[in-house]
Amino acid sequence: MDRVKESVKRLKAAFGDRVALRDHGHYVRLEGSLRVWEDVVRAGSIAAKALKKRKSVVNAIVCEELPAPKPQEPAVRDLVLDNTRPDVLIIGGGVVGCAIARELSRYKLDILLAEKEYDVALHASSRNDGMVHPGIDLRRGSLKHTYNHLGNRMYDDLCRELGVPFNRCGQYLCFPGRRWLPALYGSLVYWAWQGLRGVKVLRKKALRQAEPALDPKLTSALFFPSAGSVCPYGMTIALAENAAENGAKISLNTVVEGMEVSGGVIQSVATNRGTLRPKVVVNAAGVYSDEVAAYANDQFFSIHPRRGTNALLDSKVSDSLTNSIVASYGMSETKTTHSKGGGIVRTAEGNILVGPDAVETPEKEDFSTTRISIENVFAKHRRTVPALSERAVITYFTGVRAPTYEEDFIIQTGISTRNIVHAAGIQSPGLTAAPAIAKEIARLVTSYLREQSGAAVPANESFNPVRKPIVKTAHLPDHEREGLIQKNPDYGVIVCRCEEVSAGEVRDALRRPVPCATADGVKRRVRPGMGRCQGGFCSPLVARIIASETGLPLESVMKSAEGSAVVVGGVKEVLP
Amino acid sequence: MISSHYDVAVIGGGPAGMAAALAAREAGSKVILIEREARLGGVLKQCVHDGFGLLRFGERLTGPEYAYRYETLVRNTDITVATGSFVTRIGQDGGAFTAALVSRDGLRAVTAKSVVLATGCRERTAKQIGIHGTRPAGILTAGTAQYYVNILGKLPGKRCLVLGSGDIGLIMARRLTLEGASVLGVYEAKPTPGGLTRNVAQCLDDYDIPLYTSSTVTRVFGRNRLEAVEVSAVDAAMRPVPGTETVVECDCLLLSVGLIPENELAEKLGVPLGAGGGPVSDHNCMTLADGVFSCGNALHVSDLADYVSESAALAGARAASYRPGKRTLVFLQPDERFQIVSPQAIDGSRLTDDPVFFFRSATEKGRTTVRAELDGKVILEKRYSQLRPPEMERFSLPAGQLALTASSKLTLRMEDAV
Ligand SMILES: Cc1cc2nc3c(=O)[nH]c(=O)nc-3n(C[C@H](O)[C@H](O)[C@H](O)COP(=O)(O)OP(=O)(O)OC[C@H]3O[C@@H](n4cnc5c(N)ncnc54)[C@H](O)[C@@H]3O)c2cc1C
Ligand SMILES: Cc1cc2nc3c(=O)[nH]c(=O)nc-3n(C[C@H](O)[C@H](O)[C@H](O)COP(=O)(O)OP(=O)(O)OC[C@H]3O[C@@H](n4cnc5c(N)ncnc54)[C@H](O)[C@@H]3O)c2cc1C
Repeated sequence: MDRVKESVKRLKAAFGDRVALRDHGHYVRLEGSLRVWEDVVRAGSIAAKALKKRKSVVNAIVCEELPAPKPQEPAVRDLVLDNTRPDVLIIGGGVVGCAIARELSRYKLDILLAEKEYDVALHASSRNDGMVHPGIDLRRGSLKHTYNHLGNRMYDDLCRELGVPFNRCGQYLCFPGRRWLPALYGSLVYWAWQGLRGVKVLRKKALRQAEPALDPKLTSALFFPSAGSVCPYGMTIALAENAAENGAKISLNTVVEGMEVSGGVIQSVATNRGTLRPKVVVNAAGVYSDEVAAYANDQFFSIHPRRGTNALLDSKVSDSLTNSIVASYGMSETKTTHSKGGGIVRTAEGNILVGPDAVETPEKEDFSTTRISIENVFAKHRRTVPALSERAVITYFTGVRAPTYEEDFIIQTGISTRNIVHAAGIQSPGLTAAPAIAKEIARLVTSYLREQSGAAVPANESFNPVRKPIVKTAHLPDHEREGLIQKNPDYGVIVCRCEEVSAGEVRDALRRPVPCATADGVKRRVRPGMGRCQGGFCSPLVARIIASETGLPLESVMKSAEGSAVVVGGVKEVLP
Repeated sequence: MISSHYDVAVIGGGPAGMAAALAAREAGSKVILIEREARLGGVLKQCVHDGFGLLRFGERLTGPEYAYRYETLVRNTDITVATGSFVTRIGQDGGAFTAALVSRDGLRAVTAKSVVLATGCRERTAKQIGIHGTRPAGILTAGTAQYYVNILGKLPGKRCLVLGSGDIGLIMARRLTLEGASVLGVYEAKPTPGGLTRNVAQCLDDYDIPLYTSSTVTRVFGRNRLEAVEVSAVDAAMRPVPGTETVVECDCLLLSVGLIPENELAEKLGVPLGAGGGPVSDHNCMTLADGVFSCGNALHVSDLADYVSESAALAGARAASYRPGKRTLVFLQPDERFQIVSPQAIDGSRLTDDPVFFFRSATEKGRTTVRAELDGKVILEKRYSQLRPPEMERFSLPAGQLALTASSKLTLRMEDAV
């Protein structure tokens, strides 16, 4: 069957003449205008479904109701990077971009990572479930499946090298009733074929013993031992720091705004810090990866942003909910979508995460939360663990996934442009897959450079995979903690009482290879303000330490980005 | 690790902890007072307004003055004062309690025969009351704002809106006005203000700051700095009424939406907590764990530091005279018209003076009689000209009439008085 004709037919049936399809060879482009965003997304999905991955979909249909928001003007404009010629420019400081930077720092290369925000890991990589997925619902043969499995297996060693806490706690997928048991036993062959090792079936008693808080109606389960949890921004920061320690340059507040392409080659890249001339560009720009591809004259896919909201609960209630990761099947009326169904996750720090939901949105950076999302998330997961209560919520957050219409990762060299490598459409399970994606991207980058120069890229002799993490004094044995305080009394001054963080640790956070001297930057590195009081007691203390470390007045200490000062001036100052 | 031994360890050096330590010392005990911050005084250090001490010292003092009076009393004794010391672990080892302290000097262990927990309270946060939207700078609790303004001399915003009419919010509305910011209004979801009547008059009315009841903040806007909030009317069930949304431009949102007793250490000791968030305790301020006492805002949130000192002194004295032994606990059975009654029980085996109780009514009431009955016999009838949930009230029961056994039934009722 002619797949393109089939998509034209289906689009016509759904939207009449309002949508046009143009065939560009390896991709099709949808044009026209539709009133609501749901329809724009639906058009893209209809086309992709009919095309069966023979060609990909670029969706340029305009949404009449919600025009695309204008990009934010960057906080700085200067020329600090002007005329620089890095070997590799990585666009995007999420977990994928940072893992690539670290992987490439194994080679003798001049690497620059450009991140538009004031810190790494501010988009999807800090706003997810932190689950290292076993890959239950991934189709064999998809890139998601391949890289999830490879990435999952890399996690133990990687976290050991980077000093990032990782808890391979396993995941229970629970079912209502014994009648499921034959099917569950039957499924074991399937899991083995899928490459999942050690999957077990649990009956009522064993399940109850492992996870006492589950709904009593859930009496059978599958256990996937390869599931785990990790702090996603902790991981991303660690990757960035280790890359920096090995020579990569991480440039924050740096926005890629355009490119000059000729002869199928990117000649220069325009940023708010000047124009760069990299040999090769890596696109790890998350929800913006389609726009970056367009800058490079190489757009053959579109991202349709999909929001997901999670709630985080007080660690006090963790023990009464779950010791690992639990989710249930067959108790919810909601259809499974392309996003991992989520669940109740015990985070590596010992809190409980509940969520996420999945909502299509035209806004790539709409991280706001809504009451309805939280209510939905709780209603859904209470079917697994009835004791789940909104009263234990200490915070909630929204992340935006970056799916393509093909709903798979894009990990490849450019099609029309030769010196770009895409790590695009990295939606869930991108955190899990990131280490494996990075290995492949590094292979593609180095083989391009080899082709260009005719010689293999030499190794970085001094590469050290081991990163020294910031010491968490509260977790040290007494004699080590004592020794540390004797050397530096600041380790004995507790500034955050919920998470027991000392002034010494806050100062450490400000002296790292990728420093971020803001209240939220410190919070992501050593956790003051992450606890139940959400910074009520410690935020002024942390702000003062930042001021003293940086030599800035308190008025210049930011919560997050430029323009987010924690205080606006002195008391009794005449205010304009 | 150095270890030192005491009769009584008091944790928390606010007005409660200081009063408890003094009372325990007066009763002859060897006492250590442990405070996380560099100075004693607790939250009073930042309460620069006056109104403290009328009951305790017969004078109108500011918070720091009140705290300083107590600190001087403490410093004139041989109480060991460990400031800058954070209790990281607490447990029970045989008969004694052990606590691990961390400070600039290192780690140190303390053992004591009894413990008084005076760890104060923390404020309810924006996330706990379900504020949605973006997460810009400029959203903070009133107490944190109080620290910025009164301790650091900095303003958290220029155009401020206060959500919640708790006392700290009202006091901060006035303070911010005096310090040069403009306060656009105080929004309260309940139909009546949450703070003391005198604070509504002195902090809002006197400064023409509007109070909007039955309304709340439903969403916040702004990418880096708060730019505006959406406010909505709420119905009787406190759910926002669709269609009533209006947007108010402001750069700072202060929250004064409730205080929560801080009881992490109590929980580590396995002390059961009551509905108000503080430990369930008897009239001697002893929790359900023998030898563990609780007082001040950690026990129940008080609106008057003077009350805190009073009950804390009792806790300190009882901690000093504590000897292990069986208790005869009789729990009060208040009717639903009480929001909270504290303490919750009387220990019939250790009854010397008239036991004192604090309570709040669940709703606003006019003239009301509170009646206590022991096994059907009326032992107290006290009249109040009015009751409001924000104002904590006090009564005591006559010890002489409290012949208690394990099966005694002690009820508390509120009745409209004519
Ligand atoms: C709610 C939710 C839950 C999830 N749960 C899981 C999970 O449990 N397990 C799992 O494995 N995965 C999960 N995922 C998926 C995972 O979070 C992502 O796949 C992963 O974080 C993607 O990383 P990234 O580096 O590609 O993207 P991002 O983290 O989004 O990074 C892209 C970066 O590029 C920067 N950028 C964009 N444009 C430019 C430009 N022009 N110039 C400079 N910089 C630019 C952005 O600022 C951003 O920092 C979840 C995702 C969501 C949203
Ligand atoms: C922000 C705020 C403003 C207030 N304003 C007023 C007011 O204007 N007027 C009024 O009458 N009342 C006010 N109150 C109520 C006031 O707190 C009480 O009246 C009184 O201060 C309570 O005394 P406390 O000793 O119980 O608690 P606090 O004064 O809070 O003291 C508790 C102390 O315990 C210490 N602590 C806690 N945990 C540990 C640990 N693990 N190790 C060591 N030390 C620890 C804390 O650092 C703190 O110093 C306010 C309360 C708050 C929270």
